[in-house]
Amino acid sequence: MSERSRPIDVALFDYGAGNLHSLAKGLEAGGARVTVTTRWDEALAREALVLPGVGSFGAAVGALAGEEARVRDALEEGLPCLGICLGMQLLFDTSEESEGEGIGFIPGQVRRIRARTVPQMGWNDVEAGEMDDPLFRGLPQMTAYYANSFVCEPTDAAYTLATSTYGHDRFAAAVRRGRCWGVQFHPEKSSAPGLRLLENFLDEVEGMAHE
Amino acid sequence: MLRPRIIVCLDVQDGRVVKGTNFVELRDVGDPVELARRYEEEGADEVVFLDISASHEGRGTLLDTVRRTAEVLFIPLTVGGGVRSEDDMNALLRAGADKVSVNSGAVRDPDVLTRGARLFGSQCVVASIDARWMDEGPGGPGWYHHTHGGRRPTDLEVVEWARECARRGAGEILLTSMDRDGVRTGYDLELTAAVADAVDIPVIASGGAGEASHLRDGFTQGNADAVLLAGILHDGLTTVTELKGALEGWGIPVRPGAQAGGGSR
Repeated sequence: MSERSRPIDVALFDYGAGNLHSLAKGLEAGGARVTVTTRWDEALAREALVLPGVGSFGAAVGALAGEEARVRDALEEGLPCLGICLGMQLLFDTSEESEGEGIGFIPGQVRRIRARTVPQMGWNDVEAGEMDDPLFRGLPQMTAYYANSFVCEPTDAAYTLATSTYGHDRFAAAVRRGRCWGVQFHPEKSSAPGLRLLENFLDEVEGMAHE
Repeated sequence: MLRPRIIVCLDVQDGRVVKGTNFVELRDVGDPVELARRYEEEGADEVVFLDISASHEGRGTLLDTVRRTAEVLFIPLTVGGGVRSEDDMNALLRAGADKVSVNSGAVRDPDVLTRGARLFGSQCVVASIDARWMDEGPGGPGWYHHTHGGRRPTDLEVVEWARECARRGAGEILLTSMDRDGVRTGYDLELTAAVADAVDIPVIASGGAGEASHLRDGFTQGNADAVLLAGILHDGLTTVTELKGALEGWGIPVRPGAQAGGGSR
């Protein structure tokens, strides 16, 4: 457990599929009190929202259940958020993977990764850019675990904090808009550095509560 | 740059890790949760649990083992053994597996790969292929896929079957040479390269690792994306840290064992 004066109340949204245990435990190790929920009213009422990275875009859009405008409004109003892998992709407008609209908080599309071997499966280097972002505090040379066939392409490169290279592709490893971050890799599967990143996110949430 | 992976496999039976050669003479080598975590600390890039429990009770124990492991393991965990349906896959994923490997279940019902990929994403679906060379195979000499822990031959030629698994939605192939399993003379490089060159999803070489040079050859000659090992680690002959050191020395860009950062657990 992290040295924190009080636990940070985090909602972990459950699309109904996949492993949420490691992410919940990783957040708890960073000093969070985690509520796993399938309800948006509950998910948007905590100090921070985490969108996990398991499932397919279509299934996750189904779980949005027409609430994308409401989620977008909450993010516009400053609800701190971390989207992981699919959860990051959900922050964008649309995806080549399947029909349906994402939350549309970060302008751009999700497209198939350009490489011979897909999915990208394994540990890849997260390359500089805005690595002085507090999300990467203490992580100057991070190698992170990826398991993805699709990547995000923000309309404006200014949203991109860091990139990774795979096959013929250099893609957004991390994005940020305001108090909302997205990472294409899985911090909860990236061993100690990944746990550090989750803790950094929680530190930011705690700091924002005092603003 | 994507790093070549070293994956540690634990054969699990009734909640304990066991090890045998050619799937016989099983020995108890420890607690799966504890071992998985130790391998993460050594620098393993992934862990695989292969459940070889025959009984229904064993399956329940497995879900509990996976749950307890997911709470302390922060690298990917693949679980396989006895997976037949998308419900089986869902139960393992919900318990805390990141990927599920399917073997006999896909032979009986290849569409399970497609349904699993649609529901959970193809990155969750691993097709496990147990290859054995047959001089007099159903379609002539060649490698044929075997089920039931390598005991039961099928008429599926391995390269063709690998292609079909990929086409049907598998996101990765775990390719085990049953001829090399446990004998420590190196991966079957010819087999591995034949499959790796035929499919456009990642291939894990398995069966035969005895020393660091075998891992190197798996990457450079077998064209594997990852190598899997078990016995030489469980027997204490070497460590993941040692193996990674040797691979780095040969210019194989493995993920550094100890990274800056450090969590707070």
